[in-house]
Amino acid sequence: MERNWMSFELHKRKILSLILGLAFAASLFSVEWNSELIHNGGLTTAKQIGLAFFTPDLSGEILILALESSWTTLSYAAAGMSLALIIAFFFGVAASGVMVSGEKNKRLIKPFFRSQLGFMRAIHELVWAWLFVASIGLSPFAAIFALAIPYGGILGRIFADMLEDVPQEPIRALEAAGASKLQALWYGYLPMVRASITSYAMYRFECAVRSSAIMSFVGIGGLGYQIQLSLDDLHYDEVWTFVFFLIILVILIDAWSNQLRKRLIQ
Amino acid sequence: MAEIINVNRISKNYERKIALSSLSFTVEKGELVALIGPSGAGKTTLLNMLGAIFPPDQGEIVISGKQIAEMTDQKKRAKKIGMIRQQFDLVGELPVIHNVLAGRLSDWGVMKSLVSLLIPQDKDYATAALDRVGLKDKLYERTSKLSGGEQQRVALARLLVQSPEIVLADEPVASLDPARAEDVLELLVNIASEEKQTLIASLHSVEYARKYFDRLIALKNGELFFDLPSSSVSDDHIKRLYSLKEHS
Ligand SMILES: Nc1ncnc2c1ncn2[C@@H]1O[C@H](COP(=O)(O)OP(=O)(O)O)[C@@H](O)[C@H]1O
Ligand SMILES: [Mg+2]
Repeated sequence: MERNWMSFELHKRKILSLILGLAFAASLFSVEWNSELIHNGGLTTAKQIGLAFFTPDLSGEILILALESSWTTLSYAAAGMSLALIIAFFFGVAASGVMVSGEKNKRLIKPFFRSQLGFMRAIHELVWAWLFVASIGLSPFAAIFALAIPYGGILGRIFADMLEDVPQEPIRALEAAGASKLQALWYGYLPMVRASITSYAMYRFECAVRSSAIMSFVGIGGLGYQIQLSLDDLHYDEVWTFVFFLIILVILIDAWSNQLRKRLIQ
Repeated sequence: MAEIINVNRISKNYERKIALSSLSFTVEKGELVALIGPSGAGKTTLLNMLGAIFPPDQGEIVISGKQIAEMTDQKKRAKKIGMIRQQFDLVGELPVIHNVLAGRLSDWGVMKSLVSLLIPQDKDYATAALDRVGLKDKLYERTSKLSGGEQQRVALARLLVQSPEIVLADEPVASLDPARAEDVLELLVNIASEEKQTLIASLHSVEYARKYFDRLIALKNGELFFDLPSSSVSDDHIKRLYSLKEHS
């Protein structure tokens, strides 16, 4: 019985791989492999953009603009992430089932909150942005909510998984010492996942900065918006300045994240 | 002295396997009991049932005249029964002081325990306990950085702060090297006698059991093999206990 099921699983996996392989092959045929793939002027433009890489516009005016836009991008990402962390904390704790006792209750609670987290992250932040712009109009809040919901969904899911994977001996010992569920959360679960969830959240913050940059179309300004303006004006040297600022932002966050991780693990 | 633990014909099965069958004994207040027997004899199973981690399939356990099945209030139970196992029982990511103060969680409310993570509450308890186990200078050290023996001392300090009437110890020194094992065991026994606690500890080493405990309860294949004062346990007893052929 067990063995049959195993071999069925194996077959299923092979069949799935086959279907994926065929789908990929089919997709190659659906591309029209002719000169229209890259339009005529494309190569010259590409060359111009490539050359501009070496001559980014470093005039004071553009630098100040880039600095301001970086700040905007960063602050919306930070606001979105903060909200996402709050969502992730409450939904993650609920979805991990560590606060309820009894297998039966767990089986009821966990899928309920896990599916809500699944719903949040099933929809991409750009789609959320469209939805929010459609409902609350062009507003910074549209961008912040659009970031917070799917990021809360992803972080909450990972947070719940981490909480479920915590070694049980220390938790049992805390409970044997008279700790309630909530006390076991403070003294057991949270300290044990702190380092990994922090480092994952920092990585997500990096992703949020990139998302926040391209979300400028919902009217929040920022680096993406400036890149778009400069592209429209064919000022490729400015484009690169903004791109470099985006890269610097990501590198800075990465450095900060390493610093934090070192402090937490020490 | 008064009887504190009464185990009455308890049994426990895992699927087809019998872990304990119809075991009975009583323990008086303040006794120091070592639980010995070959691996798989049922020592851990017995200690877990005494600690109310899970109930026996049949039979009853009475602690101070009260059915253990009725002691459902975890906080009150923690005042009665404390457990110490191998060193995996501590939260390695926390500073030592919080692992020790976790012994106060049964007295603290949610707010106080939260505040204590920032500003340690009842700090005197922790310093006194750590002083007692010889780790006064490790108050703010990250617990995972301590050696195995030191971590087990931290677990003892938590137990001191928790201050239960009965201490159950499952192989408390199994993962330590002999020198440290003996230190920790001596500390465990000394604390128990000074605090007038009742101690039941399972041990690998018969030598330690005889040296530090008043009474030896031997289990084999889930049954009581002998229950004697340590002074009357002979080498022959031990040989038969650990021999493979013997089926009792
Ligand atoms: N969770 C479990 N599932 C199945 N069998 C178990 C489980 N725990 C213990 N046993 C079995 O019960 C018996 C007693 O185990 P245990 O109490 O751990 O013995 P000891 O601590 O003396 O080594 C052993 O035969 C063991 O294999
Ligand atoms: Mg055992």
